[in-house]
Amino acid sequence: MSTEPPLFTRRHALRTAANGFGMAGLAHLLAGQAQAGVVFPNHAPKAKRVIYLFMSGGPSHVDLFDHKPRLMQDQGKPLPFEKPKLERTKTGNLLPSPWTFARHGQSGMEISELMPHLATCADDLCLMRSMVADNINHNGACLQMNTGEQAFSRPSLGSWLQYGLGSENHDLPGFVVISPAQPAQGAPLWSSSFLPATYQGTLVSDLKRPIANLGNERYKPARQRTELDLLHQLNQQHAATRAHDSSLEARIQSFELAFRMQMQAPEAFDVDSESEATKKLYGLDDPVTETFARQCLMARRLSERGVRTVQVYHTATSKRSSCQLWDQHGNLKTELPNNCAAIDKPVAALIKDLKSRGLLEDTLIVWGGEFGRTPTAEGNNGREHHPFGFSMWMAGGGVKGGLTYGATDEFGWHSTENRVHVHDLHATILHLMGIDHTKLTYRYSGRDYRLTDVSGEVVKALIA
Amino acid sequence: MKSFRANSFKRAATALVLAALGGGLFAASADETFNEQVLPLLKKQCFECHSHAGKIKGGLALDSRSGWQQGGDHGTALVPGKPEESLLIKAISYTDNDLQMPPKKQLSVAEVAILEQWITQGAHDPRESEVAQAKKKGVNIEEALKHWAFQPMNAKTGSLPRLLSSGLASNQEADRYTLLRRASLDLTGLPPTREDIDSFVSDKSSDAFAHVVDRLLGSHAFGERWARFWLDLVGYADQVGTANNVAAPQAWRYRDYVVRAFNVDKPFDQFIHEQVAGDLMQSGDVVQRQDQIIATGFLLLGNINIVEVDKAKLRVDMVDQQIEKVGKAFLGMTLNCVRCHDHKFDPISLQDYYGLAGIFMSTESVYHTGRGVWSAPTFAELPATPAEQARLQEARHEHEETVAALRAKASESKQSLGALDARIAAAKGKADKEVSLKVKNENLKELVDLMRQKSERLQHVRSLDDRLAHLDYIQPGTSIACATHDRAKPADTQITIRGNAHALGSTVPRGFVKAAFSGSAPAIPANQSGRAQLADWLTSSNNKLTSRVTVNRLWQKLFGQGIVPSVDYFGLRGEKPRNPELLDALATRFVQIGWSQKKLIREIMLSPAYRQSSSAPTNPSLTAQYRSRLDAEAIRDSVLAISGSLLPASGGPALALEFPENVSGLDPKSVNPVAFSVTKFRPEQANVRTLYLPIIRSSLQKGPGEILDIFDFAQPAQLQGQRFITTVPPQALYLMNGPLAKNEGGRLGDQLWKAPAKDDEARLAELYLRVLNRPITTDETAEALAFLATFDTPIPASDEVPQRKHLAWALLCQALFTSNEFLFRL
Repeated sequence: MSTEPPLFTRRHALRTAANGFGMAGLAHLLAGQAQAGVVFPNHAPKAKRVIYLFMSGGPSHVDLFDHKPRLMQDQGKPLPFEKPKLERTKTGNLLPSPWTFARHGQSGMEISELMPHLATCADDLCLMRSMVADNINHNGACLQMNTGEQAFSRPSLGSWLQYGLGSENHDLPGFVVISPAQPAQGAPLWSSSFLPATYQGTLVSDLKRPIANLGNERYKPARQRTELDLLHQLNQQHAATRAHDSSLEARIQSFELAFRMQMQAPEAFDVDSESEATKKLYGLDDPVTETFARQCLMARRLSERGVRTVQVYHTATSKRSSCQLWDQHGNLKTELPNNCAAIDKPVAALIKDLKSRGLLEDTLIVWGGEFGRTPTAEGNNGREHHPFGFSMWMAGGGVKGGLTYGATDEFGWHSTENRVHVHDLHATILHLMGIDHTKLTYRYSGRDYRLTDVSGEVVKALIA
Repeated sequence: MKSFRANSFKRAATALVLAALGGGLFAASADETFNEQVLPLLKKQCFECHSHAGKIKGGLALDSRSGWQQGGDHGTALVPGKPEESLLIKAISYTDNDLQMPPKKQLSVAEVAILEQWITQGAHDPRESEVAQAKKKGVNIEEALKHWAFQPMNAKTGSLPRLLSSGLASNQEADRYTLLRRASLDLTGLPPTREDIDSFVSDKSSDAFAHVVDRLLGSHAFGERWARFWLDLVGYADQVGTANNVAAPQAWRYRDYVVRAFNVDKPFDQFIHEQVAGDLMQSGDVVQRQDQIIATGFLLLGNINIVEVDKAKLRVDMVDQQIEKVGKAFLGMTLNCVRCHDHKFDPISLQDYYGLAGIFMSTESVYHTGRGVWSAPTFAELPATPAEQARLQEARHEHEETVAALRAKASESKQSLGALDARIAAAKGKADKEVSLKVKNENLKELVDLMRQKSERLQHVRSLDDRLAHLDYIQPGTSIACATHDRAKPADTQITIRGNAHALGSTVPRGFVKAAFSGSAPAIPANQSGRAQLADWLTSSNNKLTSRVTVNRLWQKLFGQGIVPSVDYFGLRGEKPRNPELLDALATRFVQIGWSQKKLIREIMLSPAYRQSSSAPTNPSLTAQYRSRLDAEAIRDSVLAISGSLLPASGGPALALEFPENVSGLDPKSVNPVAFSVTKFRPEQANVRTLYLPIIRSSLQKGPGEILDIFDFAQPAQLQGQRFITTVPPQALYLMNGPLAKNEGGRLGDQLWKAPAKDDEARLAELYLRVLNRPITTDETAEALAFLATFDTPIPASDEVPQRKHLAWALLCQALFTSNEFLFRL
């Protein structure tokens, strides 16, 4: 990877020579666009990589992780206080969860019966029940969860990490997004925005053919080698007649790397080469779990090979694919169990698998959607969007396992105790990765931008 | 608990607490109350962030009386006697999500009551001493105004021709092949043809290069190239916002308008005027009037969140984007920071921002469509020329005929369905009869067969209905364009505190960015939005930024690097002009020649500075020629042009909505708008210039547009005057294995080796001339022949001679298409 900024220096030339999909972060340090003198990680990181499991559509916290007996007591009654002004549609009265909750693990974490496999990992989960976001629509909320900003184009979390830390594997993209169907508005969620394009997420939507233009069925590799040798010759002659120019050099290197990559990358994505036992653990053998199992297993393989950020969007089950699978305005009682059945086993397997490989301790798993859902009913079998208080969890990567942090009020409406705003979550994730969120900045049009805008506080209580 | 924040409860609680506090508060003297109740509270809860000992966040200090009297960024902090109008009370009572103080922990009900009571009683503040005024954080306006970009134009620059030759041209003139290729790529994004090369190389006249420049400036391809640069600054896409793939079916009219504007060399001041206020201009000419209306699409085509439920937020967000766009495209300023606070580095205040905001708040830009929560950008009908009216009549007629035929077919099918039903009923009756097993079986079989026929027929009817719905959607109609118009009642607008549409501060009169202008700005009549005056202001000779920003962009396109390298930002934190005299000489000349871009481009290109050979990009003066990689459009368009595949196109809709598979959500009852996809392309789209391909904001570009994102396309949610140039392996993979270089390489190779009566040397000479636009060298001929010879040995053994010939030449051509010499403009 290299960018050709206005000023070229010897150091820049050295960096461009280390050409790779990811390579070192902060290429623009030299162009003066990052905060001078800051090198990341700027403190010892607890986590080296992130796997972010995104439940597109907004999973219902009161049916999954935030048990509210009061909803049962007061079922059918109106919410006893005024709802916030920000409302999409009027919802009805309180709707208790149709599912039961039980305490799990030594920590006694309360988890719904819809997630039986995940429940066995309770002591690894760091559950945040006091999440707050600002936007009530999928688009704005998904944008905020990924970029910190609801309306305008900003770099995504994965792009910032890539920009700050670079990648550990030069033959693979450093930020991969795995999503069989397009989530919400798509590309802006993993966009590098005003950061150089190198830092954008690489989308894998075809799980069978993960990276575009990787194969060449028409020519035999030997022929392509001959062609590349000729190309090399052409480029060398071209460069020889000119003074040293790093931009020419970088491009020559990039073809060699690409050639290597097309040999190596297919292996990284080859989920089918896993052992039968592993495949079974994730649920690759069951049509219900197969798709998400494949996504999770791919995520593990990529993480293992040094990919900094893998984002796994749940956008397809065996029954349907949708940009908003978890958007239960209706059919709560059938669709929520379907979604849970599709992800529960693969997610639990991912945690266990990483743990058994010794990778969980420095791999941060994040699970959540763009918001939660109303404790009040939409129709008689649905819930509306709800950014005022909802649940997410993290695991591994230096967070406290078995911790239940924060709370919503007794109806599950407002986050009331130890509120964690999206900016706080981002600040915490960056902190775990060894980055002070106030220092990871990029100057664009004269302003130093950062993922957390002008807010965000690291939630220290979550950190082991 | 948040529920307790509800206002009604709050007031009741306050009353209770006040009652509980009893007469104490009221009995005490005002001084005592302040010193014993109010001041300790301010110290404990507010001083950390709002005092000279702490920070002065939001510009507000509470450690002196004058501190709150002056107020912070959002105006005065409190209105004595009126707690309900006091920002301080609003902040501490947490009624507003965006203004909650102290941010970490809400004050107790009792504490809020103390401050509320204090203000109600007149906010008596006995503090006389002024706190030693530490330097207020933020910009020192006086200092900031000394910044170079806010100085009037230097009237004493040397003459432009002199500046363009002395000092700037450190290298000797490039050879003719290089110069021609450079000029062709710069002006048209396409390489020269063999004929172009022959004629320039053989033209011995002294103005041979001037002829080339004139030819290129006069070509249609010029506008197609330069329009794209402008579209990068507009956030252009064929999609509205990013949600649910909503088509902006008329966006292409704006794109084509920009192409026309560049091709007719529309004076740039007029170009600005039309884009900012074209609807308010007048013209007796229908075509010109169309352009004036279409041009205002500039203000609308961007990344708007049309699904935003909070329409007040949507409106201020839209206005913010318009201000950002005007600020960036014309002024090279980042104005959108000022939505929340005075600019941190530049001398731009909330007054400036909200002065502009008033102009755009007085302009209609978005409306609620009535489909669910969805909004859309405003549009206007375009007047039509008689020819267009006739064409529309004809198209309507044709459409009606198609629809009528299809309707007839549909109703016929529905009728035959009725006949089928009768037969099914009869067959049912027959099947129910007690007859021998054999007969019964036959009867049943007949019934099953009829049922199958019915289901097929039903499916047919449904597909006819779908086609009718689609035809209805694409029916020809009066042409419309995304366009603005003034609101019925233009008005000044209020500051939105921290950008929150619901937290309103003081009203700001409409106006402009003061720092950018010398002299008095045009006055805005009360009954107008002020866009016309904004256009006047932008293009006035008193505006210190517009012409500088514009000529700098132009320079960057011809030299790879702006004189001010930060092309979109001329503020204090931007880069300084490498050659201020040259910048001002260009800007002055530009205005002098009537804001003509073509004339200025011509003058620059004929100069020794432009014509010199390029250096490695290490020249610190940054005004020399240097090499840079072609952008995505130039790579694809050049490859297609060289292989002979490029089709001329003259614009029109990029989205192929005429294909039913590209349209969904036609049900009129749906709460979501009709959505597009780019599943199917028109066959010719594979070979049109990249400019004309559909631009999508919600995904990577598709089909033939795939190359855009691989080679650093400006993301259409961004406004970007200069693209990044990255070097990453996916680019190499695309060129090695992707369809473009492979297919076109094959096509070009076939043309060469199949050409009769030529030997391979001649073929190679032609190849180099066509791809690299220069003669091949002896060494290169030898190497290429050696490469071709490796194909004499078949891999696999079954390869026949023609396959091997094809492959050898295809790979050779592909190698040239992927070579640095081809990918760089030298």
